[in-house]
Amino acid sequence: MTTYSKLVDVTVCTGCRACMVACKNWNDLPVETQAYSGGYQSHEKPTGKTWNVLQMKEHETANGGFEWLYRHSACYHCADAACEKVCPEGAITYGEFGSVDIDQEACVGCSYCVYNCPFDIVELADYVTEDGDVRQRAQKCTLCEDRLQEGLQPSCVDTCPLDAIVFGEREEMLKLAEERLEKAKQFFPNAQIYNPPGVGGTKMFYVLADKPSVYGLPENPEVPTSAVLWKDIAQPAGKALLGVTMMGVLTGYVTNKLFNKGEHHEEGGEVDESKHG
Amino acid sequence: MNQNTASKGKVKRFTKMFIYAHWIYAAAFFLLLLTGLPLFANSFHWVYAVFGGPDMTQIFHRIFAVIFVIPPIMLLLFDRKSLFHWLKEVLTWKPKDIKFFFMFPKEFLVGNPDMPKQGFYNPGEKLNSCMQIVSFFALVFSGLVLWFPEAFPVSVVQWSNLIHVVAFIMATTVVIGHIFLSAFHPNSKPSMEGITKGEISVDYAKHHHGEWYDELVEKGEVVEEDSKGA
Ligand code: HEM
Ligand code: SF4
Repeated sequence: MTTYSKLVDVTVCTGCRACMVACKNWNDLPVETQAYSGGYQSHEKPTGKTWNVLQMKEHETANGGFEWLYRHSACYHCADAACEKVCPEGAITYGEFGSVDIDQEACVGCSYCVYNCPFDIVELADYVTEDGDVRQRAQKCTLCEDRLQEGLQPSCVDTCPLDAIVFGEREEMLKLAEERLEKAKQFFPNAQIYNPPGVGGTKMFYVLADKPSVYGLPENPEVPTSAVLWKDIAQPAGKALLGVTMMGVLTGYVTNKLFNKGEHHEEGGEVDESKHG
Repeated sequence: MNQNTASKGKVKRFTKMFIYAHWIYAAAFFLLLLTGLPLFANSFHWVYAVFGGPDMTQIFHRIFAVIFVIPPIMLLLFDRKSLFHWLKEVLTWKPKDIKFFFMFPKEFLVGNPDMPKQGFYNPGEKLNSCMQIVSFFALVFSGLVLWFPEAFPVSVVQWSNLIHVVAFIMATTVVIGHIFLSAFHPNSKPSMEGITKGEISVDYAKHHHGEWYDELVEKGEVVEEDSKGA
């Protein structure tokens, strides 16, 4: 089955933030004012109301020079997504274009996904339900699934004037990433592809100019071990144990009714063992 | 149930405060279980409707959580004697307690007339209490972390998810057994009076808590009478 990916080549990004504006615009996201942080970056990180943020990192190069490191950051659309694993409501699913989707109508706002996302992307934010109630529901980049359905590109991809963000079949994107990497290496010796295997690879992946940690990215993001133990072992084993225990006491109830003639506190009679065995 | 001819009289087992603590704990536990279950199994989604939607259900879970921690505090403040007596009894294990567990399956299924003599609590009750103590702390601490996740490192929140589920399963398993034995098992059913009225029949004490009975006789709180052979 064909799957798709969004490739972000941060090495050609100039930090214009058109992708941020396009995302806010297309997805009708509200204004989110944050305190001035002392730098050029607008928001600290993606939130439930600001699904992509252009990171602007002031970086000192190996020979003491200065450079800007820009990075479009948004949901990574993990192939093996921790949020999908932990969601108790099945509100998180994989879409046909490689996205990890959250259905806010099914979401109950438990925030399990928020604290299990290896990239700290998902957040609860105001959501108006079909019934018109405002509720805290998990939100994040949708990969513009709605646009993809209509044969359009995601709005950030469409907008990027430098083709730093491209979208297409995954095989092609992986090939393109290799080509981009070759070029990037001429300027950035540490350039590398960031498509972490601990989460099954990501459907939004990078050509980075430097090591992931330089961008504040986890070097080896993984589905948390606790989440695997919780959902793959504790939950099914727990259900089985509770079921077996219920069956056990029901059995005990029936066998006592049928065979327990032993004690007679009520009648004060003798212990009668004749029925045993 | 007509009271038995052989057992004259009753013997005091639990204080009023201990009984209140037990039932407040039981009610909070049951309600916490109920409001937690829809996140554990989809078959409990109907609970959302009962509590006014998923968001309200989560708020109720927190309200019941506060009630859940009251009973131990209540005992600590107002009935330390019962609290420490209970703790001392259930934390004291003897080698012979093993024997009880070997004989218990038969008792559980059809009644076993040869059950060994027991103290104030039998090893099954002790195990119930010990496991409940462990799961209580595990649930309260992991629950607090899940309630205020911003206040903790992310990995602590993640492990709390697991601990909360493991502890609730452990606690619920134990509770199912506890309820069966105290409310539905013909042999141990009479013990229910202890935790409702505070007293049990001397006869029941003699046959189910022989060592405790002997102590009571020794202390002169119960007059030995040759009621019946067992
Ligand atoms: C101080 C005590 C407790 C606190 C603070 C607490 C708090 C929480 C919180 C915050 C959650 C996450 C879902 C939500 O946001 O509502 C949760 C889930 C849950 N709690 Fe508790 N809880 C406590 C005790 C208990 C007890 C005693 C039980 C049952 C015996 C229980 C059963 C559950 C279950 C079944 C879940 C869902 C687990 C899952 O996701 O599979 N909790 N609790
Ligand atoms: S917050 Fe919503 S989407 Fe996230 S795990 Fe909970 S129910 Fe699922």
